[in-house]
Amino acid sequence: MSDPNLVPATPPGHNDVLGHVDSPPTLFMVYAAILALFALTVFLSSTGQFGKYTLFVQLAIGSVQAGLVAYHFMHLKHGDRIVVLTALASIFWMGILFVLFMSDYMSRSRVVG
Amino acid sequence: MSASTHSPVLKHHFGDLNQQHASERLGIWMFLATEVLFFAGLFGAYACYRLWYAAEFEFASSFMNVKFASINTFFLVTSSLTMTLAIRCAKLGDKSGIYRNLLLTFALGSAFMVLKGFEYAEDFHEGILPGASSFGVTTEQHNIKHEAEERGLDTGKVRLFLCFYYIMTGIHGVHIIIGLGCILWLVQMNYANALPPENYSTVEVVSLYWHLVDAIWLFLMPMLYLAGAHIPRLH
Repeated sequence: MSDPNLVPATPPGHNDVLGHVDSPPTLFMVYAAILALFALTVFLSSTGQFGKYTLFVQLAIGSVQAGLVAYHFMHLKHGDRIVVLTALASIFWMGILFVLFMSDYMSRSRVVG
Repeated sequence: MSASTHSPVLKHHFGDLNQQHASERLGIWMFLATEVLFFAGLFGAYACYRLWYAAEFEFASSFMNVKFASINTFFLVTSSLTMTLAIRCAKLGDKSGIYRNLLLTFALGSAFMVLKGFEYAEDFHEGILPGASSFGVTTEQHNIKHEAEERGLDTGKVRLFLCFYYIMTGIHGVHIIIGLGCILWLVQMNYANALPPENYSTVEVVSLYWHLVDAIWLFLMPMLYLAGAHIPRLH
């Protein structure tokens, strides 16, 4: 029995060239999960129960949503190592950007008064 | 002698199609990394001022149209799904499926921009504008300016939020328009029979860009529209 998610081996060599083909049920489940997380963030935002931590909760949910998009829709799941490294490097450099300027801006009032 | 090394899709400077596909993917991911850093600058600036001027930012956000933005989120996430299905159709050699999914993606992206246009029009009508001379200028007696003053908030900081709103949604909108142009280019390629299965990576390259634009919106939505969703309006 052949894997239905693999392209038929005609003409010869196409399996190697085309790689993995997405299964629609998986894509629809990921789609539903992203929309469900969106509904959750709208609900949590409208209640305001997290107070000053609301932004962090919203960004955490947004990160999970973006992660689902990157892993499934952008095919990091089946990505080459160099592609995964590039994607992670962008997050790493963004982290450096945030840490450096936030440590400056968020500590100014303490230093200057 | 194999399809991988003797395909009309194969460009002369690549050894085989696998190398070509891998190079195309790496190229677009490198570009996306620069896009992530570009938007990271905006997100960082927003986060900084949001933490400094939380009350004003949340107040200004409460004037954003969550209903429009939620429908737009639905449009974009759905368009990401149809774009991914277009890659699947390209790999399977389903030409009509490529048309169907690309045109659906184009329609959803266009619907996003049309709704955004209505939203901007509503904002202009209600005086939700950052300019000193246009802020709160409306026929309505109770507007964003009056309500900010009633609450004792600094209107300058409220206008700062509106600057972020227009800059971030504007730049995002420009990305959507570029993506729509790329999708139309793919439709034209499909019409010209230039998207055989071994050239699926061309669809994938455009789709990666489209997904990034979608992912950025998933952050813009809570930052701009949901920050003040819990604040009741005075009037």
